[in-house]
Amino acid sequence: MTATWKNPISAFDPEKPVEEVVTNDYLSPQSQWDAVRAYNVPTYEVGRLRYYHKWGGHGARLWSRLRYWPTRRRVLDISGEYNAKTLRRQKTIEDKRPIWWVLALLALAIVPFFIPENQQNALLTAGAVFGIYAAINLCWMLIIGTAGIYSLATYAVVGAAAYGTAYLSIHLGLPWWAMPLIGSIIGLVFGVIIAIPATRLEGFYYALLTLGLVELCRVYVLQSREFGSATGGLFGADSYIPQAWPQHDQLMLGYYAGLALMILALFLFRFVNGKRLGRVLRMAPEKREAFAEATGVNYRAARIQVFLISSLALGFIGGFYSTHFRGAAPNLFSFDTMLLSLSMLVIGGLGRSEGAVLGTLIVVFIDRVLVDWGPMRFVLIGTLMLLVVLFLRGGLFGIKEQFRAWRDKKKSENRSSRAEKGGEMLPEEATETPNKDIIYFRRFDKMQRDFLKKLITPELIEEHRKRPLGQHSEALERVLTYFRRQPLNDKYAITVIEPFKSYRIVALSGSRGVAPRLVEDKTYGTPDEAYHALFMRRVQDLLES
Amino acid sequence: MNWGFVIANAITLACIYGTLAIGLSITWSSLGLINMAYGFIFALSGYGAWLAAQHVSANGFIVMAAGILTGAAGGLLVCALAFIPIHDKPNFTVRGMIATLAVSLVGNQALLWYFGPRAKSLPQLFGASQTSIFGVVMTADKIGAVVSSVVLLSAVLLWMRSSRRGLEIRAMMMNPHAASIVGIGVRRTGFYVMALTGGLAGLASVLLSQTYYVGPFSGITPMVKGLSVALCGGLGSVFGAVIAAALLGINEAMTSVVFGGQYVLITQFALIILILLIRPRGIAGILDKAREA
Repeated sequence: MTATWKNPISAFDPEKPVEEVVTNDYLSPQSQWDAVRAYNVPTYEVGRLRYYHKWGGHGARLWSRLRYWPTRRRVLDISGEYNAKTLRRQKTIEDKRPIWWVLALLALAIVPFFIPENQQNALLTAGAVFGIYAAINLCWMLIIGTAGIYSLATYAVVGAAAYGTAYLSIHLGLPWWAMPLIGSIIGLVFGVIIAIPATRLEGFYYALLTLGLVELCRVYVLQSREFGSATGGLFGADSYIPQAWPQHDQLMLGYYAGLALMILALFLFRFVNGKRLGRVLRMAPEKREAFAEATGVNYRAARIQVFLISSLALGFIGGFYSTHFRGAAPNLFSFDTMLLSLSMLVIGGLGRSEGAVLGTLIVVFIDRVLVDWGPMRFVLIGTLMLLVVLFLRGGLFGIKEQFRAWRDKKKSENRSSRAEKGGEMLPEEATETPNKDIIYFRRFDKMQRDFLKKLITPELIEEHRKRPLGQHSEALERVLTYFRRQPLNDKYAITVIEPFKSYRIVALSGSRGVAPRLVEDKTYGTPDEAYHALFMRRVQDLLES
Repeated sequence: MNWGFVIANAITLACIYGTLAIGLSITWSSLGLINMAYGFIFALSGYGAWLAAQHVSANGFIVMAAGILTGAAGGLLVCALAFIPIHDKPNFTVRGMIATLAVSLVGNQALLWYFGPRAKSLPQLFGASQTSIFGVVMTADKIGAVVSSVVLLSAVLLWMRSSRRGLEIRAMMMNPHAASIVGIGVRRTGFYVMALTGGLAGLASVLLSQTYYVGPFSGITPMVKGLSVALCGGLGSVFGAVIAAALLGINEAMTSVVFGGQYVLITQFALIILILLIRPRGIAGILDKAREA
């Protein structure tokens, strides 16, 4: 702001020194134009389109022929196309989830060989528990997510099967391999009993009722002498883990059996959720049942079918549970078990299998491995659950989707907040105006005023105060030219009250025959003072506009 | 088997569970929130009453007031954590239920961590005297429980019928959307309702602690029972909850006389399932006018 302007007219009179005035740095009028036209929406590298890595070469047809039994599903969803620029053949993996699944399952399969010696017991036991709970949660996810039945009686089915098979094994000598099978029959029977009210009751009435059923089971088991009310559970059932083996081998067998159970449950989830039943039920989400029914989708039958299939599987898991732990304990029915399991589903994300598995992994890790924390670990789990429910829409696996939605929202907000784009007129006004030149004139005028506002500095005002008339610096000249060009109505002018003695500022009316009006009471002694006062009024009006 | 004794017992329990059920019912119908943290509020107010009895005074009135106030504070806590942040978000009913479950998990474990697993017992609020009514020997705590729950419940219901705040709550129960349109603050009413129902849970907790103990998980079973009573009576209906509480009380008394105490829960659930199969929205719930979550 300390540039100097040399008066070019000084050259006419070389005797005198060159007149110099402190003024603004040169500011290009183009800068305002550039600022207004700049695209100031934050953009991201890839933008709205998703980025897919392109693999070279042919082979997409080969991948699409590779199906796995007994479905006709492809192993990987790969599409092939020609690159539009290079005209080379390329492949795109449309869905990478199978790869992640295989990697994760491989990691789970080899992780026992990398556990340090001193933690092997705790971690392998926790791993087996993880497999069983993940299987239960996957079946529960089928009921809650796919079928949309808010049943909290999952553990009633599992526990009933576990208790029933343990009882049969202890008293009738049922071998371990028969226990999951008998368990699935018990589970199916229980499923039928629990499913009867589901035909009539709506969402939450059913949830509360099933909560009561679990409580009923718990109280019954706690009081019943046959089911071990005295010993705190029913123990001594046959187990698939040979007692004679060394402890480490027993734990390894338990871990891999749990993992196998989880993989079976994953296949069940895939075959129910990803095939006909799942399709039918996705057609009839909550509050759109009437529409689905009207289009001929029998969603009630599909729901009950899913419920019965899951109950069968839950019974199987219950039988496995009792052979794994050699019995059953009443804490299967406790409110806390149900709560922990629900937290597993919620943390991972309702409705997806990866959510159930990841949630189970997190919660079982906190629950079984961080045992030293005492009750604080449940506080941690509860806090996690609360945070997930309060801030996330679809659990941990929904974060990506939610972030994308949020980013798109912010983008469109920014786009709509750039109101200057429409000029100095409201959109309705702009469409109503017959002379469209006015729109463009106002837009230009606003840009010009915005630019001139940047030129108003103390130096400029000081320069005008010293010499209101005559040659001026470039910046002051721009400002004055703009002021002179304003329309006549309400334009400021100076009226002479008494020549060389008294001047006042008036505003012109803009129409012939109407006298100017006074704008202030002040009188000025010299024309220069009056000129400067008038300039200051205009500057003030400019800055206020 | 002493019929009078059993009936008196059933009436006492019905009063207490009715109090719980009405609290749950009001919460559901006005806020659309299934308050699964009710068991936590119950246990918390039990501890509040116990602390007051230990440190302030064992006077029955003070202990009861402490329980009710702690319950109201617990209700406000649950409201601030589980209702205020998500009540206008999509899928509120499911998320609200899960959030209250999470609050209950955290709260119960925090109680366990702070107070330890040993159960505490409250002092006798109503003295140890006995009176005989129609030849039935009633202990003071039973009479006290019946009288105080009936008096406080009627006070709450009268307040809801006659006061400005009660009118707001009833408007929310009828149609929450319309209520918010005519200028009833949803969040403010949420705080009133949760404080009120929390206070009811505190009252039930103090009364039930006369027979049972105060423990970190002592609230779960009463909550489940209260839920089943509310469910059976029709969520959202105070009148239905009263009828259901009476019905289940009679059922409990009859079952203990005819079959024996261990079958009470079984017949109770059989009865509830039967009622719900006949009337899917509970005794007093009307199918079409029920709250659309």
